[in-house]
Amino acid sequence: MGLIEIKDIYKIYSEGEPNEVRALNGVSLKIEMGEFVAIVGTSGSGKSTMMNILGCLDVPTYGEYYLDGISIKERTESELAEIRSRQIGFIFQGYNLIPSLNVWQNVALPMSYQGVREKERYARAMEALESLDIDSKADNRPNQLSGGQQQRVAIARAVATRSPIIMADEPTGALDSKTGEQVLGILQDLNAQGTTVILITHDNGIAAKAKRVVRLQDGLITQDCEVSEWVR
Amino acid sequence: MGSIKMALEAIMDKKGRSFLTMLGIIIGVGAVLILVTVVQGYNADITAYYEKLGVNKVGVEVTYYDRTNTIDITDEFMQYVSDKLSEHTVGVTPDIKTSGTLKYMGNSNTTADVYLGNEQWSACNNFILNKGRDILVTDLEKRERVCVIGSYVAESLFGYINPVGETITFDGDPYVVAGVFYQKDGTTEESMDDMILIPYTMNRVIMDTDTVTDFTVKVDTSEQMDGVMAALEDWFMENLNTNTSSYDITDGNEALTASEDETASISLVLGGVAGIALLVGGIGIMNIMLVTVTERTREIGIKKAIGAQRKVIISQFLVEASVLSATGGLIGIIIGYVVSLVLSKAIYDLLLVPSPLVTVGAALFSIVIGVCFGLYPAVKASGLQPVDALRSD
Repeated sequence: MGLIEIKDIYKIYSEGEPNEVRALNGVSLKIEMGEFVAIVGTSGSGKSTMMNILGCLDVPTYGEYYLDGISIKERTESELAEIRSRQIGFIFQGYNLIPSLNVWQNVALPMSYQGVREKERYARAMEALESLDIDSKADNRPNQLSGGQQQRVAIARAVATRSPIIMADEPTGALDSKTGEQVLGILQDLNAQGTTVILITHDNGIAAKAKRVVRLQDGLITQDCEVSEWVR
Repeated sequence: MGSIKMALEAIMDKKGRSFLTMLGIIIGVGAVLILVTVVQGYNADITAYYEKLGVNKVGVEVTYYDRTNTIDITDEFMQYVSDKLSEHTVGVTPDIKTSGTLKYMGNSNTTADVYLGNEQWSACNNFILNKGRDILVTDLEKRERVCVIGSYVAESLFGYINPVGETITFDGDPYVVAGVFYQKDGTTEESMDDMILIPYTMNRVIMDTDTVTDFTVKVDTSEQMDGVMAALEDWFMENLNTNTSSYDITDGNEALTASEDETASISLVLGGVAGIALLVGGIGIMNIMLVTVTERTREIGIKKAIGAQRKVIISQFLVEASVLSATGGLIGIIIGYVVSLVLSKAIYDLLLVPSPLVTVGAALFSIVIGVCFGLYPAVKASGLQPVDALRSD
């Protein structure tokens, strides 16, 4: 059994009503530890829904999800929070920084939920910010930063948690190509060090940086292969 | 990170919102304390008035006196009270009130109440001697032309001169000032200090009658009032021919009781107003908290997504709401106390502070409202799926 395994997952909004939407329509996927998977698809293909479910931010309408061999359904709310805290680092499409905290506090916040001491939190936050070349803004508020800078802070927040899984939803969406390259490089480095990376993107070029590509279309997986075998 | 520290940072970060939240509590608590103190001051003022006037007094008036009665009502009545009721009474005195013109040198006073009484009159009516001497039994026996004057009469006629030993005239008749009473009502015109006391035996000269028909009996405690009044009733039934004479015994505390009832109803009305103020303050808190639900829901969603336990989120909001509400309550108490002191000094010339019970009650009420509504978004949003909380925009 893999690190992440979903079986026949459905996510249906307004089920049974005329405006029913099937964001995921029976998806099964298995991801092993240490993989670098890109989930590609156009807008509305269900890829963000997929990430929300994989990241325990949402629950599927039907289907089974096993993380580390244990069904998510059997987890308590508190255990799910623990998983989000220790297992998964998120990079959201909309950054999702907390406006009332400054940059380094934002990066340090998830570590506080992990129980990391304050001194170490600061050190690790600064380290992550440095690696993304944004440490000069450590004391600024998120709203004083450009979109690209905020995205880097959001990445630093995920990286600093040292979670075994990183999930990134369009992490380069707001970045120029040079910074985008940099971010992908960081994700590749993390993967090289053993972190499992799940990358959500609509961009085939970015998906090509991963090792494995899963294509979603209308809530179904239409392609799942190694990058080397990938036919765009 | 300590949730207290985070909560304080959140409060400082949203100063405007924090202030508005506190404002409801400040106004609510402050208004309650101030209104309650005003009522308290009013009560104290009324009570003080009656205390100055003298409490536990029984008024006795023989409204119609048939001279064919075999006894001298004045002497017999006072003798009876002094002999038989002394255990529960402070004193008994004829108490006749009249008026006239007082003159000394070029000064005159036409507003003073002129009382005719005996040596116990001052004790019965709460006057305390300041200078000279009070009326003596010998003055009564010898019908001495003496008087004891109130502080306003002393001031209006004599200014800075010591009145004791000087002679004033009352409607043209001379009286030697034997003593002066202490001020008890502010030494102003028509106050209780605008008075003069003359031996009741001068009745013959002043009122042109020998018979005294008005008395005051001072009872030592209010509990004894009924017993003393019953005894007086019995005495009159026995000694006065009720076919040809009548009398009236009145409880001097009745007016106090009536005004106490009145202040009780005023307290109730103002208490209601204060309650409404507190409620409106509470609604203010509630509104501010509810308005920020959306914003806070998103923040909670982010925190949940990056691994916050529900209890961590709730405890942070609990601390935040508690700190805000408690600070607001404290400021409200301070304002309430300061305004209470200022108002009570200005209106009643008393220094009054709100009662501890009201203070604690009002503060607790506001804090509970503040905490409940401060926690509401946290409890609601922290129970959502993170993705749903994140979606609230």
